[in-house]
Amino acid sequence: MKKWVLGLLFILAPLLQAQSPPSQEVVLSAQAGSKLGIALPHPKVTGVAEATVSTEFHAVLGKDLEEAGPFSVIQKNLPAGTDPSTYQAWVETGTEWLLTTGVSRGAGGDVEVMIQVVDVMASQSKNAKAVMSKRYTGKEGALRRIAHKISDDLMARLTGEQGVASSRVVFVKETGRGIKELYQVDRDGANAFPLTAYKSLTISPTVAADGRMAYVTYKGGAPEIWGQRVPGGPQVKLYPLSSKPEGHCFCPSWSPDGRRLALVQGDRRGNTDIVVLDVASGRVRRLTDSNCINTDPSWNPAGNQLAFTSDREGGPQVFLMGDDGSNVRRLTHEGTYNGSPAWSPSGSMIAYVSRFEGKFDLFVYKLGEGKSYQITTGLASSESPSWSPDERRIVFTSGSRGGMQLYTTDLSGNTLRKLINMDACQSPKWTRSR
Amino acid sequence: MRFAKNLIPLAVLITLGVGVACKKPAPAPVEPPKPVETVAAPAPDNSDALKREAEEAARRKAEAEAEAARKAAAAAEMARLAKFKNDAEAALKDINFDFDKSDIREMDKAKLQAIADFLKANADAKIQIAGNCDERGTVEYNLALGERRAHAAQNYLTGLGVAEARLSSISYGKEKPKVQGHDEESWLINRNCQFTLQ
Repeated sequence: MKKWVLGLLFILAPLLQAQSPPSQEVVLSAQAGSKLGIALPHPKVTGVAEATVSTEFHAVLGKDLEEAGPFSVIQKNLPAGTDPSTYQAWVETGTEWLLTTGVSRGAGGDVEVMIQVVDVMASQSKNAKAVMSKRYTGKEGALRRIAHKISDDLMARLTGEQGVASSRVVFVKETGRGIKELYQVDRDGANAFPLTAYKSLTISPTVAADGRMAYVTYKGGAPEIWGQRVPGGPQVKLYPLSSKPEGHCFCPSWSPDGRRLALVQGDRRGNTDIVVLDVASGRVRRLTDSNCINTDPSWNPAGNQLAFTSDREGGPQVFLMGDDGSNVRRLTHEGTYNGSPAWSPSGSMIAYVSRFEGKFDLFVYKLGEGKSYQITTGLASSESPSWSPDERRIVFTSGSRGGMQLYTTDLSGNTLRKLINMDACQSPKWTRSR
Repeated sequence: MRFAKNLIPLAVLITLGVGVACKKPAPAPVEPPKPVETVAAPAPDNSDALKREAEEAARRKAEAEAEAARKAAAAAEMARLAKFKNDAEAALKDINFDFDKSDIREMDKAKLQAIADFLKANADAKIQIAGNCDERGTVEYNLALGERRAHAAQNYLTGLGVAEARLSSISYGKEKPKVQGHDEESWLINRNCQFTLQ
């Protein structure tokens, strides 16, 4: 098996450079040194409708693997089996891993999927080895989920990190004038459905690692933070609970351990501060106290620092601080309007948006380098970045005025994909939790 | 005979006539319309009925007057409400802001004065101030900016002597644009504070 390498290629594209603010380099990255060829012959099917398996399993798995990043999916009509005599033909197509699958009806009516992965390249040196062999079962209708799981397991086998095929994106969609609801969609754009039906303005979702939601809803008139205290539990008001604060609250963000919510609290002068709510005790700690706007809190994965947006030095810029409000330092210096920071899952990068000539583009600040890289250079405005759990992609909204749609991009900006064909979307949050 | 025949009725007539004439001077003790007397006999009953009638009339009159007063009051109330509504509509005009700013513009100070005057003239009126932004900022920053705009207007009004308790605020950021356009004119309209009666 060839070692898969993530190479970062820094290419200076004069056209793109001209559009970006000075000294923010254009990066084209994640140019895989080589992708691993994985062949995906059609499954052997017994007891389940062929058409269903084709659309709900085989096609889904192929798309998952193709979009995972390090795989190149090979679809060829060649004999597929565990007979080594058939391997040579696959090797000639560039196949390294041969993924054979069988879908059948198990006892009790469940769907059963058997997979076997053989490194056919290695088999040439009389060293054929089974990379992976695994059995998956699920209820009728679980084929998509099983396909996602297989893709994630193969990613883990190849890279050591769990894939994101099983992940989902929670987002906000306008469903009427002044009415917005929370929705979710699978990573592959399937299974979009609403999560709330408040018929009110409901915005700013955040999802804890265990799947608990928190969000802002105006269903009671003034904005309040609602969400779940226990996974799968009822939607309840989380803040404010006892006293009625002078200003309003916005923009909740779960801490990585899911115990605290960073949120934005207005004061009587119209300033907004970042506060941290201990959800179990209801205790609130104020982290900022300045005569300005502080908003957009985003935790680092360790849960001891926050990135946020503040206009304390003029226009909106991204700042960092400790989770006790100490050690405030400014992160962004280029451009007059930077915001929406999103700390990456590994903690090494912060995605944000920068406004230039009336529209936003995505940037990524690499903390190790102390430098920003521009990700999108489209004609549309790109906003609200949120990292994929494996840090390979960013989901964001982009579009012409009023028609914001959900897209994902890799860090090079090269493989831009529309997540779902749906208008009036905002504030996506990418999560592994189901 | 013939005479006699004629005389008899005459005599009768005379007699009758005399009789009638004779009875005339002494009618007093007779008082023939006795039946009337009898009817009038329960004197207290009769006065009650009259009283009731009078009371009824008075009641009806009072009722009519009250009704008229009610109608007049209702009409006055309607007129007052209509005036209140008109005054409110005339006074509660949006104010607008420069991009990413929450400073009250010089040209909007007269509007805020009109709102303060309206509130002074209508002691029980309460208003909500909603801060809004155009679509060109981020969702979250605009919620904070709308909050700041609403408070800027609120603080300006309290500065004009309006009691704080009569003002509430809310921010919708860029979530509820007043107009859907995507040009400078629409953006200016959408960067506002809107004032509504509570």
